[in-house]
Amino acid sequence: MNRFALLSLYRSLTRHKLYATLNVGGLAVGIAVFLVLGLYARFETSYEKWLPRHDRVYVAQTVWNLPESPFNGAYPYTMGGLLEQLREDFPGVVGTRIRGGRNGGTVIRGGVATSADIAQVDASFFDVFDLPMVRGSGSALRQPANVLISETLARRYFGTSDPIGQTLTIAVDKAVNYRVAGVFRDLPANSDFRISVLVPLPAAPPSEQWFHWGSSSLQTFLRFDTPQAARAFEQKLPPFVDRRGLADMGKDASRIQQIKLLPLTRMHLEPAGSESASAKITVVTLAIVGLLTLLVAIVNYVNLATARANVRAREVAMRKVLGADRLALVRQFLGEAVLTVGVAALLGLILAELSLPLVNAAGGLSLTIPYALVVPALMALTLVVGLLAGFYPALLLSRYPAASVLASARSPGGGRVGTRVREGLVVLQFGLAIAFMVGTAVLVAQTRHVRQSDLGFQREGLMMLLSTRDSLVGADRTRMIAAAIRELPSVRSAAIGNNAAGGSGEDNADNVPLPGVAGDGPSLRWIITGPDFFKVYGARVLAGRVFDAAHRDDDALARDMASGINIVINRQAVSTLGFRSPQEAIGKTVGGKRPRTIIGVVEDMRFFSPRQPNSATYYVYYSQPEKAFTAVVSIRYTGDPRVTMDALRTIWQRSVPQVPFEAATADTQLTKFYEADDRATRLFAIGAGLAVLIGCVGLWGLASYNTQMRIREIGIRKTLGASSADIARLLVGQFLRPVLLANLVAWPLAFVAMRTWLTGFDDHVALSPLFFIGGTAAATVIAVLTVLGQSLRASRAAPAWALRHE
Amino acid sequence: MIRLEQIQRRYVSDEVETTALRDIDLAVSAGEFLAVMGPSGCGKSTLLNTLGTVDRPTSGRYLFGDQDLAAMGEKALARFRGAMLGFVFQSFNLIDELTIEENVALGLAYRANGGDRRTRVSQAMDKVGIAHRARHFPHQLSGGQQQRAAIARAIVGDPKLILADEPTGNLDTANGEQVMNILQALNEEGATIVMVTHSPSHADMARRRIDMLDGRIVASAMRAI
Repeated sequence: MNRFALLSLYRSLTRHKLYATLNVGGLAVGIAVFLVLGLYARFETSYEKWLPRHDRVYVAQTVWNLPESPFNGAYPYTMGGLLEQLREDFPGVVGTRIRGGRNGGTVIRGGVATSADIAQVDASFFDVFDLPMVRGSGSALRQPANVLISETLARRYFGTSDPIGQTLTIAVDKAVNYRVAGVFRDLPANSDFRISVLVPLPAAPPSEQWFHWGSSSLQTFLRFDTPQAARAFEQKLPPFVDRRGLADMGKDASRIQQIKLLPLTRMHLEPAGSESASAKITVVTLAIVGLLTLLVAIVNYVNLATARANVRAREVAMRKVLGADRLALVRQFLGEAVLTVGVAALLGLILAELSLPLVNAAGGLSLTIPYALVVPALMALTLVVGLLAGFYPALLLSRYPAASVLASARSPGGGRVGTRVREGLVVLQFGLAIAFMVGTAVLVAQTRHVRQSDLGFQREGLMMLLSTRDSLVGADRTRMIAAAIRELPSVRSAAIGNNAAGGSGEDNADNVPLPGVAGDGPSLRWIITGPDFFKVYGARVLAGRVFDAAHRDDDALARDMASGINIVINRQAVSTLGFRSPQEAIGKTVGGKRPRTIIGVVEDMRFFSPRQPNSATYYVYYSQPEKAFTAVVSIRYTGDPRVTMDALRTIWQRSVPQVPFEAATADTQLTKFYEADDRATRLFAIGAGLAVLIGCVGLWGLASYNTQMRIREIGIRKTLGASSADIARLLVGQFLRPVLLANLVAWPLAFVAMRTWLTGFDDHVALSPLFFIGGTAAATVIAVLTVLGQSLRASRAAPAWALRHE
Repeated sequence: MIRLEQIQRRYVSDEVETTALRDIDLAVSAGEFLAVMGPSGCGKSTLLNTLGTVDRPTSGRYLFGDQDLAAMGEKALARFRGAMLGFVFQSFNLIDELTIEENVALGLAYRANGGDRRTRVSQAMDKVGIAHRARHFPHQLSGGQQQRAAIARAIVGDPKLILADEPTGNLDTANGEQVMNILQALNEEGATIVMVTHSPSHADMARRRIDMLDGRIVASAMRAI
C-alpha cells in the first residue's frame, strides 16, 4: 500500500460515511458480541483452572442407579468416612475432604453469630489443593486448634493488626476456639468453592451417619499424578464398594451405587443427578450465538465490501493503466480490508468494554477483559477476517479488464455470479437472524412459562424460615418459635416439614416394595410433614384425605416400623406404585416389611428445579415435626412480606441470637431455579437482537447499493410507463426472495436447537408453529421496512435524471 | 396532435438558476417527423424529456390530443407513457441482465392491455431486423444492433409518438444510416417522431426541422417535397 492507496481508503471511508458506518459499525458490533460471549464461555469453562496442578485433582462422584429413583445420576458428594475407608484399603492414596463451604458455619464475635463460608478439611488438604498462601503455611492444619482464613476475612476481623496468633470462635457442629495460623489468598470468582475459613475436620466423626453407605454429607477429592493412574484407580472401586457397602446396601452394592472420578475442572458444568445438562448447554449455546453473530457480521462486511468494490472498478482500471500490476492491486485491497477490520476490531473492543457492566448486570456475571489475551487474539482475528473479507473483492476487482471498464460509461456489475454470491450471503445472514428470533421467542416463552406454571401450591404469600435447619437450634426451640410465628397478626398458618418450596431442606428417597411384585420396588422421594402442612401449601386433594391431628394413627412417630404408617402420595406416585387412578390407591398398603397405607392423594407439589423431573413422592406425618433431623417452617402470610419478615427476625433474635437468622419468600427461593435460565435467556436475546440488527444493517446497505446500481434501469422502466408503486414493488420483491429463502435455513436450525433445549425441562411449552411463523413474519416486516424507504425514494426520482445518471 | 404553449423550464441548484426552456410554443401534428437541432446545452434534450413527460415544465401548457398533461398526476402520467410514447436513447439504455427479447417485451410490461404479447414482440423485432438475436444479451450485440433493439422496444407498444434522443450519436455512419432508414420507414407507416440530432444530414431526413439556442426555438423549416 502506498500513500495514495491509504488516502483513497481514508477518503472513501469519510466520503461514504453511511457505507463506512454500516460496514465498520456492523463488524464492530459483531466483534463486541463475539468478545463478550467468548469471555463468558471462557469464564464458565475456566472453573478451578486457577488452582496450581488442578489437572491432577479429581472429585469422587457418587453414582446412584436405583430402580425409578428420583435421585439417580452422579453427585459430587460422598459419605463422610469414604476417605478413611479408601486409605485403609489403598495405602498411599492422596486425598482430602471438604465439609461445609458456603455458609458452612458461624463465626461468633462478641456473642453475635454471623454466617461464614467455613470448610472443615483434612490435614492433607494442601497436598491436593495448593491454595496460594499469604501468611503461614498449609501444614498448620495438622494442628487441630489452628484455623486458616482468607485475606478478606483477615482484614474484616483484624484490620491492619497481625492476624497470626489471634483467637477466633467458630461453630460448625459446636462452638470451638481456634488460633489463626495462616492467611490464604481469596478464592477467585471462577471457583465453585466458597471458602473463607479452613478448619481441621474433628478427629471423631461429627455425625453418626459418617460411615453409613448411602449417605452423602461432604465432598471427597483425590489426587493422581496422571489420568492413567486415576483411571486405573477407578477400576478398583466397584469391588471396594461391594466389600465396604455390604452391610448397608446388601450384596453387589456396586450395582446400585458406584464411585467415579471426575476431573476437578469438569465439576462446574457437570449436571448433578437427574438434572439436565443445562449449564453445559447454556455455555455451548451462548458460545455458538457469539460465533454466529461474528459470522453474520463478517458475511455482512464481505457483502458490502464486494458491492462497494464494483463501484470502485474505475479507480482500479485507472490504476492499472498507470502501471499497477495485479499483485499490487490485490495487495492494496487486502491491505485496505485488514486496516478496516482493524478499525472495526478496535471499536468492537471499546464497545465490549463499555457494554460489559451492562452485560454483567443482565447476566449476573463479573467478567473483565483480559487484555493480554484479547489484544493478540483480536489482532489474529483482524488478520484472518481482513484477508477473508478482502480476498473476494480483491480478486474480483483486479480481474476487470481495464480498457473495457474505462471505455464503457458505467461500472461492471460483477455479473450474475457476483449477484448470486451476494444473494446467497443475504440468505445465510437472514437465515441466522430468523433462527435467532425464533430461538429468543421460545426462550422467553419457556422462562415465562416456568415462572407462571402451576406448581401445585400457591407460591404467593408463602415464606420459609430456614435458620431452624441449624442443629444448634434444637427441637424445643423450633417448636416455640413456630408457636410464636402462628401468633403473628399477618400469619394465617405455619407448618414444619423437613422440606419446603425451593427444596431447602432434607432430600430423601426410599424404596417402596410393591405387594405381589418381586424386588425392592420403585424408589420414591419422601417428605416429613407436620400439622397444617398441606393447609399452608394449599395442596389440592385428589382422593382420600390429608393428615389430621384427630386421627391418632396418622402420627408416624407414635407407631413402629413393623405395624406400618399412614402416607399421602402425590399424583405422580399413583402410576409409579401401579395404580390406575388416585381413587384406586386409597386404602392400599405398599412397602413390604415397612408397610405404608395410602390415605390420600394430592396434586404434585413442585418444590424443586423445573429442570428436575417431577418425582413420585410420599408424605409422612409427624405430630412433632420439629423432631425431624432437618426442620423448615413454611408460613402462609398476608400483606407486605417485609412486615412478616421483620416480625420473624424479632422472634428469632429473642430466642436464638447465636444462630444467624435466615428466611426467604417462596418467590425468592424458587427464583434460584430460574436464575441461570433467565440469565442465559437475557444474554441470548442480547446476542440475537444484535445479530438481527447487523443483518438488517447489511440488508439496508445492500439495498442501497443495489438501488443505486439500478437507477438507470428504474429510469428506463419509468419511461416505459412504470409507476412509482411498480418500481417499489420490484425492488422490495427482489429482496424479499432471499429473505423468504432464508426460512429454509432458519426453520430446521431453530427447530432442532429449541427442541434440544426444551427437553431439558420436565414441564415445557409446546414448540408451536407460531414461533416459526412469527419469526418469519418479523424478519419479513423488518426486511420490507429496511428496503422500502430506499425503494420509494428511488422510485420517485425523476426518470430524466435517472437516465442521465451514468 | 401536440401543442406546447409558453413552456418554461428552470432548474434551481444551489445558488445557480438555469433556464433550459423559454417561452416554447410548438405544435406537432400526427404523422410528422420533426428534427430538433442546436448546440450542446441549448435545451434540446429538455424539450424532448418534456414531450416525454419524464420532465415537468415549470410553467406552460402541454396538450396531447385533448388531454392537458400538465394537470395529470404522477401515476396517470406513467400510464400515459406506457400507452402513448416510445423512447429511443443515444446510449440505448437496454437492461444488461435481460435478453433482447425480454428488453423488447419490457415495452409492453406496463400496459393494461398488451394484446398478444409474443406476436407483437416478434413483429417489432422483425421490423428492425433483430429477431435472430432475440436470446442474446445486450453486451453480446454491436451498437447498431443494440439501438435497433431499443427501437423495437419503443415501437412494440404501437405508440402515438416516438421520441428519439440522438439515436445515432453512438453509432458509426453505416449503422447510423440503418437506424435512420428504420425511423423513416416507421414515419412513412404513420408514426409521429420527434428526434434530437447533431447530424444535419440526418435532420434532413425529417420532414420538419427546428433549431434551438439558449432554450428558445430560433428557426423552423419544412423540407421541400
